Parts: sequence; C-alpha cells; structure tokens
Amino acid sequence: MSGFDVLVAGGGIVGMTAALDLAREGRSVIIVDEGRHSGTTANAGSLHIQMQSRFIRMYPEQVADLERSLPLYPAGAARWRELEAELGADLEIKSSGGLMVADDAGQFAFLADKCARERRLGLDVHMLERAELARIAPYLGEAVHGAELCVEEGKLNPLKANEAIRTTLQALGVQRLDETVITALSPAGHGIEARLSHRGGQRSLSAGQVILAAGSGTGQLAAMLGVTIPTVAEPLHVNVTEATAPLIGHLVQHAERMITMKQLGAGQVVIGGGWPARFTGPEEFPTVDPASMIGNLSLAQHIVPRLGSLRVIRTWAGVNTTTDGQCVLGKLPGHDNVFSAVPGDAGYTLGPLVGRMAAALAMGRDPGHDIARFTPARFG
Amino acid sequence: MSGRLTITFEDRTIGAFPGQSLGAALAASGELALRHTAGGDCRGMFCGMGVCQDCLVTVDGAPNQRACMVKVADGMVVRRQAAPGETPPARVGAAPILFENLQTVTADVLVIGGGAGGLSAALAARSCGLDVLLLDERQTAGGQYYKQPSAALKAEPLDRQQRDGAALRQRCEGAGVRIIDGAETFAALDAGSVMATHAGRTAVYRARAMVIATGAYERAVPIPGWTLPGVMTTGALQTLWRSHRALPGRRILIAGNGPLNLQVACEVMAAGADVVAVAEAAALFAPARAGAALRMVLHDPALTATGLALMARARLGGATLHFGAVARGISAVEGGLEVELGSATGGHGERFVVDAVALGYGFQPSNELLRALGARHDYDPGIRALRTVRTRECETTVPNLFAVGDACGLGGAPAALAEGEIAGLAIAERLGARSPAGVSADAAHRRLEGHRRFQAALWRLYDAPSPRLSLADDATLICRCEEVSKAALLAAMADGEPSIGAVKRRTRAGMGRCQGRYCGPLIAAHLAEETGRPLDERALFAPRAPVKPVTISDLVGGSAP
Repeated sequence: MSGFDVLVAGGGIVGMTAALDLAREGRSVIIVDEGRHSGTTANAGSLHIQMQSRFIRMYPEQVADLERSLPLYPAGAARWRELEAELGADLEIKSSGGLMVADDAGQFAFLADKCARERRLGLDVHMLERAELARIAPYLGEAVHGAELCVEEGKLNPLKANEAIRTTLQALGVQRLDETVITALSPAGHGIEARLSHRGGQRSLSAGQVILAAGSGTGQLAAMLGVTIPTVAEPLHVNVTEATAPLIGHLVQHAERMITMKQLGAGQVVIGGGWPARFTGPEEFPTVDPASMIGNLSLAQHIVPRLGSLRVIRTWAGVNTTTDGQCVLGKLPGHDNVFSAVPGDAGYTLGPLVGRMAAALAMGRDPGHDIARFTPARFG
Repeated sequence: MSGRLTITFEDRTIGAFPGQSLGAALAASGELALRHTAGGDCRGMFCGMGVCQDCLVTVDGAPNQRACMVKVADGMVVRRQAAPGETPPARVGAAPILFENLQTVTADVLVIGGGAGGLSAALAARSCGLDVLLLDERQTAGGQYYKQPSAALKAEPLDRQQRDGAALRQRCEGAGVRIIDGAETFAALDAGSVMATHAGRTAVYRARAMVIATGAYERAVPIPGWTLPGVMTTGALQTLWRSHRALPGRRILIAGNGPLNLQVACEVMAAGADVVAVAEAAALFAPARAGAALRMVLHDPALTATGLALMARARLGGATLHFGAVARGISAVEGGLEVELGSATGGHGERFVVDAVALGYGFQPSNELLRALGARHDYDPGIRALRTVRTRECETTVPNLFAVGDACGLGGAPAALAEGEIAGLAIAERLGARSPAGVSADAAHRRLEGHRRFQAALWRLYDAPSPRLSLADDATLICRCEEVSKAALLAAMADGEPSIGAVKRRTRAGMGRCQGRYCGPLIAAHLAEETGRPLDERALFAPRAPVKPVTISDLVGGSAP
C-alpha cells in the first residue's frame, strides 16, 4: 500500500462524506482513523439550525461569527436530506422542527430578540406563546412559558447514517485503517508522506493530497506541518432513556440552560446538550461524570415531566470540537495539497456539507459557499 | 404463608401471597408471557433477579416495571407491556437540581451488596466498632445464595442454607450494621463513595473505605428458543421457589453446566415439580475426572457427599440425568415448550415437552462498579471471565476499595463468607479500629484456602467447553434487548476488525435495557478469538453510570406521579 490520490485523516462524518465525493469522482482514497476516543462516530443526531443559547452564553465574543455562519446550517440540513436519497437508506431524518423553550418572560424576551435577528438572516423561526405551544407540543410541562420554533430543525439516527455511509464507502473501494494513529506528516515530492502506527506496528504511505478531518485532533496534525489550528476537545455527556411510545416530536432545547432532547425512531430519548464528561487515564479515554447525569436529567424532567417515569439506561461521552465558533475549512497556509475540514458549532449537522466542500477544494472546484473567512490561515 | 390477595393481569383475576414478587405470582398462575417486543415476540421472566429486563409490565399505569422485582399489592392492575413501551403517565415536574443538592449519607465503611460476602464483611467491620452501612438492591438482603423470602411471605426457611442466611442477617442487624434494603447503587464516584436510589430518592453515600460485593449473574448461552416465555435461568427458577414459593408450571427441564442445576432440580422436585430431565454438559463420570472428584472429597467431604446425594435424589424423583448433553433448541408447541437434547457437538437426541425450561451455564461477575472505578482486572481463562486483581486482604488496585465474593472471580458462597471477614478485618486495621480479643483473619484465610481448592476441583470436574454461539442458529437472537440475530452479529464482527464499541454502533447489540450484560461477554470472546484482540477490561462494553437502569424521577429525587 503506498500511493493514494487522497488521504483523509479522520473517519467521522466529515472524513467519510469527503471520501464519498472523492471516490465517486474516481479518486483513490484512504481513510485513517485513530479510533482512540471511539468518539469519531459517537454522535447524538441533532440537526441544529438556530443559534444554540449555550454558545451565546459561553462564548459571547463569538456571536458575530456564529451569526455569519448561520446560513450554512439550513444548507447542512438540506445536504443531509440529499445524502439520505443518494444512499438509498432510511437515516430516519425528521424535519420535525426545533423548540427552544423559555421558563419565564425574561427568557422569552431573550428568545424573541434572537428570533428577530435570525429571521433577518433568513431562518424560518417563530415565537410561540404558551397556548399555541401546548397545542403543538403537549408533552411540555407547566413550567414552560413559551418557545422559539425553528421549522427546519430536526434529527436523524446517527447509527444508521454512519453505517450506511461506511458500507457505501466500502462498496466504492475506499480503504480504511482503523485504530491507526498518524505520527508524522511531511511533504514528499508533489505529495505528502504519512507515518502510521497501528497496534505497535509502524508503516508509511504517500498521497497526493491530504484532508484533515480529525475533529479535535486536527490541531495536532496541522502542527506536524507547521500550521496552527487551535482545536480543543470538549467531552460532553449524553444520556439515553429506555424506549417509549412516541412522545417528543421536536428537537428540544432551553433558552438559558444546557440541554438538547430528541426521541429517535427506536423510541429511546437522547438527552444531552453540553454537560461535561471527562477524559481519564493515560489514553484519555472519554468517560462520563455522574454529576452531569443528575443535572442534565433533572433539567429534562423539568421541561418534560413525563420523562420522570422512564429509566436512563445508557450514558456516553461524545467529543465535541471547538475553535472560534466557525468552520476551519480551506487550504493550509504553505501547503497547496493539504486541506482542513473542521465544522464549526454543531459538527454533525454541518458534517456532510463540510465534507462536500473539502472534497470540492481538493478537486479544485467551487465549494458553493463563500468560505474565505473559514481559512485556517486566520490563526496565524 | 399468609392469606391471599388478588391482582388483575390483562383482565384476569389472579391470587397471590403478600411478599411474593409480581413475576412469581404471575408464573404460579401460568402467566409467563409478560411483554411484547418490537420484533413481534413475547418475553417472560428470564433472570428473575432484575438484570435482564425481559419481564417488564405496566403496573397501575406505570410502565417499565420489572415483574421479578416488584412486590404484589392487593388490587394491582397489571398489563403486558407493548413495544416500544407505553407512553409514560402525566406527572408534575420538579424544579431542576444539581449533583450538589443531593443528600449525603456518611459512614466509616460502605458495603455494596448484601449477599454472603457483603454481610460477612459488614459484620466483621462492625465487630471492630466501625459504623457500617450496607446497600442491597433487593427488598430483602441475602443475595443469590441465601435467597431470603420477604418477611411478608411468612415462609419458614426451607433448609439450612436459608436458615444460615437469615441468621447472618440477624447477626448483622443485632451488631448494628445499618442495612438499607431496596437501594439501587447505580454509580461509583470514587473509592469511598457511590450514588444510590432508595425509596424514590437519590443520595450520595460516602465512607472511608468501601467493599464491593455485588455478586454475579448468569452467563448467557443462546440456543434456538431461549427467548421464549417459560425459558429462564436456573437461578430464576430457584428464586421463584426459594424466595417466593412459586413454580412456573409442573413439568420442568433443566439444562446447562455446573453443580447448581442438580441442586435446583432437587429443590423444585421437593416442591412438587415434575423434573423430567436434567442435562449436564460435562461428562461427570468420565475416568479423566476421577482425580478432580477425589480432590473434592479431600477438601470438603461433606459438600461432595451432598452433591452425590443430590444426584441420587434427582434419579429417585424420576428425572432422567443426561451427562455430556445440552439443550439444543426449544420451540413453542401445543401444550408447552418442546426441548431437544443432544450432544454439544451435534446430533439429535430425545425430545421433551415441558411447561418451563431452566438454563444454567455458570456465572458472570457483576464487576461494573469495580471497573468503573479503574480497579485492574485480568482475564482468567479458568472462569472465562475477568478476575479483579486483589491483595491477600481483598483490596483492589484502588486504595481503600475492597472487593469480595463472586463479583471478583466466582469463588462460591463459602469463599465469599471468608473473604468478607478478611476484608472487614483488614479495613478495621486500616482505619485504626480495634478487633475484638481473639479475633484474627488467620482462621478465615485457612478456610478460604480450603474453599478455593475445593472450588478448583469442582471446576475441573464440571469442565466443559463453552458452547458460546455454537448452539445458536442464524436467526437466534444474541442481543435479547435489541433483538440482534446471530447472523447479523457475525456479519458485523467479520467486517474489518471492529472493536466491541464499533460492533455495538453497527448492530445496536448491547444498547438495550440489560446494558449488554448477556451479549457483551459473547461478543468480546468472539472478537478475541477471531482477531486476537486481548480479552481485558477494554474488551467489554465500557462500564458507565448508571450501571443499572435508574428511573429519572428517582435519580433527581422528584415527587411521585
């Protein structure tokens, strides 16, 4: 195994969808995935479109950038729907709408302001008073005062999606090295040489181009080529309840507190939204923090009291990637054949779109969106 | 036993005894099919001890109640649970809380699990003057060896084993061990603290040292038909009779590997069941096993004699004993379940039609809390499971975290008793408490040595290759909860060299309510064999909180509906 047209570093949603477009255009592609966090395909499956209040609160300095990126999100959700049709598989995509709920008049006013700004940016968003909300979302508890509805938001089943893409790649002849770490990247002739380590064994391979789609690991890979991309791994807590009859139709969030809730096709309710998990041991294995379980689920039953009767059966830690709130997408400064592909906030929603744009860049085509401000050169 | 009460199940009125589990009352009335699955099947009680989650029913409108764990109450209205589950009832929400708002309960020593090992550890530490708090998930502590009936049942102990359990518990209570029954420990925070729910509230329990004595659950050996209502573990059958004085029918067949099967056959025969056959995978009387039998006589002649007497009693009771035989498949037929016996390697044998089938293939340690805390475990091919690495005093690789009994390596109840005493006294010494005059761990160490030698010989006598997935056919479900077939699982495992986590995400195996307890060890063993992946802590599903499903309103201390 030596020469490939493109080496894709990272086998998560971005890397897989980039590889998909490249392979369809006849490129020989190899995906190398570290698999260390088993986090690359540990996704929760929300399709986010409206600005998440968690980011507005945690990173107020990033709000301007978030707003500038906003048009990407409906495009990201649309790309998911196209992808479902292309794969010919049921990914359980539901454009069921997303509700960001408010507990009181103050939070409602905050959402109304956010809603007005988002409408100006072209989102299909509306404010719902209590009575109207109770009609479309009868599962919400008495404590909910009102909500912002984002019509295009929704959810999908990440297990089905990731598996459908993986098997499609396999059929297209895309090679994949799992549990393999890239230990060095260096320019070699017209391409790039990568040193790989797999269960203690070393090997090399060369590729004409490289796409860095390794989420929070992207910074480390870029550094091997002398480029700074300040990706930070943010391990987050996710809870899963036992299955129940259809109860929660929307993607549910809160105006002020960290939570996302959605019910997937199998009937289980997935509850997350930014409560911290942590890394443990020398290999930085992501593990859950039971304190997050209490805070997160307590909030969930406050918003949807019926959840109180269900049992939580699983928790897991997903690894989110943060930089400055925007995508890091474009040619690496000083390297014409290396591209970074890191989605901004809500990486799974944007994943297939960012993967498609990265593949377009590698093939010298127009990515279809203005990505100038996403350049990795911005970190100097 | 005390007077009858009545419940309704699917509009049928059923009598029950106070103190019985709902599952036992239903089984005694012939109601073995308790829930529907998404795949269109029916399930019944399988493990009988709160692990498998297959006996879920809706009780007075509240869904997801384990029939094996809920006590009957007069007038209960019980329904089969639909798939994917009933809509949960309306309730009043509670204000959100944080971890910091939880109540904290402190003690010198925390013991998790009230079986032989846990009770013994608690008693030893308490006898040195320490404040000991014991949490047990059952309504009546005693664990799977002593299987104590609920006090409300007012049942006389059946035999010495049950009397010993009652006596041990009484000694603990008399000595001042604080026993909290019905407490589900669902998360370990550090070497001295856990979170548990009790009576609808969650608290943090903190101590200076902790003993994990969470025992074991029965190992799965999937065969065609093993998910049918009426097919249960041998332990479940034993619990039905010993703890609840109920039988799941008259005609019973017991199959598997290990000494428990014959014991339970005799117990249920004495209770009036017609045990038509007992199939034991090991060829017990093969000449090669004579050495092991001799060593058992040397180390515990009384227990060996008990074993021989059990065989004689089973034969006298009319059971046919089949050595070197396994149950190859079960199907639902007119009037019951048809079981086919045969050899483990193939061939068809005799068929029996029965009301219930018990399958017992040994145990799997319940070591989730230990693994979650980072205690080291090594795979032991002798027990085909992870064994907790411990010092001679039963301390794990995490300081002040002790572990005793089957949770750390399947040694049996007599060994668990000795280990509990050793751990309790070691903790007392560690915490600077004074042991009563004349008490030392030396005697317990000597007893433990004898029990371990006896147990090792017993393992050799009963040694038989694990059938693992070999008795299942392509359509047999390996993951009971998410209904993943053997064919689907084998295909996913053969595609590349996936980790157990990747297999889980590809197939959903292990994502259900039992949290992968039955399919997980089977998948790990298969991947190890096919890809050379090491059988270590990482080979199994990650042990994450909650280590048992926990109701959200209990978790956050909310009000009742």
